[in-house]
Amino acid sequence: MHLLLFNIVDQIRSLGWGGAFELLRNGIVLGSLYSLIALGYTMIYGILKLLNFAHGDVYMVGAFLGFGVLTAFGGALNPGIGLVPLILIMFAVAMLGSGVLGVAIERFAYRPLRNAPRIAPLIAALGVSFFLENSAQLMTNGFQYNYDAFQLGGKNGNFGPLFDPVFTVAGNPVTVVQVLVVGSAVTLMAALIFVVSRTRLGKAMRATAFDQEAASMMGIDTDRVISSTFFIASVLAGAAGVMYGLYIGTTFYFMGFLAGLKAFTAAVVGGIGSIVGAMVAGVLVGLVESFAIGYVGGQWSDIVVFGILILFMILRPTGLFGAQAIQKV
Amino acid sequence: MLKKVGAVAAFAALASVLVATTAWGSAKAPRHLSAVAAKTIKCGKTVTIGIAYPATGPAASLGAPQFDWASYAKKRWNHGHKLKIKLVVGDTQLGNSPGLAVPVAHSFASKSKMLAVVGPAGSQEVQDSIAVYRKAGLVAVSGSATRIFLTRSKPGNKRETPKGYFFRTVPNDGQQGDRVAAWISGKLKFKHVYIIDDEEAYSQGLADQVAADLKKVGVTAGRNHISQQQQDFSSVITAIPSNTQIVYIPWQLPGQAQTFYNQLRAAGKHAKIMGSDGTDAPGTFQPNGNGYVSGFPVDFTSPVLKSFMKAHNHQPETFGIPSYTATLVAATAIQKACKAGHGKTTRTAVRKQVQKVKLSAAAGLLGFGIQFLNSNKSTFQGPGDMGGAANFAVYQITGSGTYKRVG
Repeated sequence: MHLLLFNIVDQIRSLGWGGAFELLRNGIVLGSLYSLIALGYTMIYGILKLLNFAHGDVYMVGAFLGFGVLTAFGGALNPGIGLVPLILIMFAVAMLGSGVLGVAIERFAYRPLRNAPRIAPLIAALGVSFFLENSAQLMTNGFQYNYDAFQLGGKNGNFGPLFDPVFTVAGNPVTVVQVLVVGSAVTLMAALIFVVSRTRLGKAMRATAFDQEAASMMGIDTDRVISSTFFIASVLAGAAGVMYGLYIGTTFYFMGFLAGLKAFTAAVVGGIGSIVGAMVAGVLVGLVESFAIGYVGGQWSDIVVFGILILFMILRPTGLFGAQAIQKV
Repeated sequence: MLKKVGAVAAFAALASVLVATTAWGSAKAPRHLSAVAAKTIKCGKTVTIGIAYPATGPAASLGAPQFDWASYAKKRWNHGHKLKIKLVVGDTQLGNSPGLAVPVAHSFASKSKMLAVVGPAGSQEVQDSIAVYRKAGLVAVSGSATRIFLTRSKPGNKRETPKGYFFRTVPNDGQQGDRVAAWISGKLKFKHVYIIDDEEAYSQGLADQVAADLKKVGVTAGRNHISQQQQDFSSVITAIPSNTQIVYIPWQLPGQAQTFYNQLRAAGKHAKIMGSDGTDAPGTFQPNGNGYVSGFPVDFTSPVLKSFMKAHNHQPETFGIPSYTATLVAATAIQKACKAGHGKTTRTAVRKQVQKVKLSAAAGLLGFGIQFLNSNKSTFQGPGDMGGAANFAVYQITGSGTYKRVG
């Protein structure tokens, strides 16, 4: 233990402020992705009280859809259209495709189990997750597919404009793609908050989440509201998939598993069902992971992240922003 | 709700414990298997070989080339021999915890017509399942389990597999580690080295070996770890000191290694990068002009390799070549055992024939002839390892992405 602490202190000292900033930056970018995925978990849990374990795989499908668009337009090294329209189309197709997939999952896997014991849709969610994962594995032969995002828009194999610095802090650059990921995530989260708090659909979603039966009796088409919730949650996951591809540069059939677990952790730490909680905790998980890797070592990062989950469950079971449910007696 | 989730979790845990502690999950083999070991089997026209590899799970991308190459060996063998071979697949899900190596071993052991096994792929899988294979009299010929102690004892401990039951058509970690460390410190003369393993037995063993060998010559290497599911390396890269001259990544997923390289460059770090046989994948791992890999001294001009590539999207899938060789070893041993037994054989007879198999460099495709040791050799090799010229080569990855042998 002493040796570990000594190593941590030594690592903090050797990385200095520059290293600390890099870890902060990396954590925020990664955390933004976790937040977007965590929102899906929390929205679906909020409305159906269902832990949608297939959500991480919807994110994986989003990344592959983005990759498909990139490939269809000639690939990163030789795209047939400009960089901005290409990225916009990648986002549009991945978000729409993931949204449709989310609706299909709800319609065919969860809706028939709406009145079944709650364990049934939970098992169905695991089944859908394995189905998507293994289908992707069969289609991709288990290989990783490279977005080549580093060369996207670049010439002669050099890094493209996505990796140009926007500004630097203590000599450490913050690149276009990092700003793009965080900026897009913040925009999407703001849009979600607007939809949930200011629109008729949002009001219907809140009503359905509060009491599905009562909402139904008030004339709300709860099936449509639930489908819309799955659509929005999956759209966010699809966007996160493309962001991941552009930032990390790769896509892989198993990528949804760990990201899904981390995002689920964020949703629980934030208080499952709480949109703001998922956003904040997503970034928090990203930061914890980043600093754990940088200061403690990669082998400790998952222990630290999931250790925090256990700690939260013990000390604050409702999470950061979760409210204690009122039990009718 | 939570109570129900808890109930499912408890049920799942109980099921896992049951599977792990009963015959199908336990390395302790049931008694009936020893009877199967001695049973005489009619060779007939087709004999059965099992292939234990990760068809699904996080390491499926490693299993794919192994299966492709084993299938290719089957196709070529069946084209030129009267006695045909049939491959029976066992998915071990390497990288998943718990994996399925032991249930697969039980399944293979209980198939009375099975005469040999290609695999298991991972060293941990061999450790877990070898007792079952032993009891059933089956020989396991792995194309990728490289842990030294599978074939060589360490001070105070026996070797981890019984002699005569485990063979491998891949040089072990000690051989590769020595080669890599000598290359980094002796040839490149680098003093600032950083090693990152992927937390799997293969990677950790190799990383430890290289670190120990470097330490012997006065080079202290920094160390970090990633997981095979990880793709964002930004924080690991932050932890790499800026004066690092080379980063050694003995990983199993070449795509993951390429992503790491891209992120390293994007972070403005200019250290060279060196991979292992796990990342020896021209076309996938391409740190052009800045990298090395240690790999099998494969002859890329071989017509067999060219024909394989033609059928597999022009990818050599180099990681799978030892599984091709392992399949040929198993088939050759069975053929000899069947011939000696006048059309009949036993698993024990096949096992003894594997020890005697000799394949030329051209037939085995690995760049060296195959002949298994029957006693210890040098510091690392033991019975079941390949003797002769079996060792790793070092390739430099040129600016155009081609692999040029330099050592």
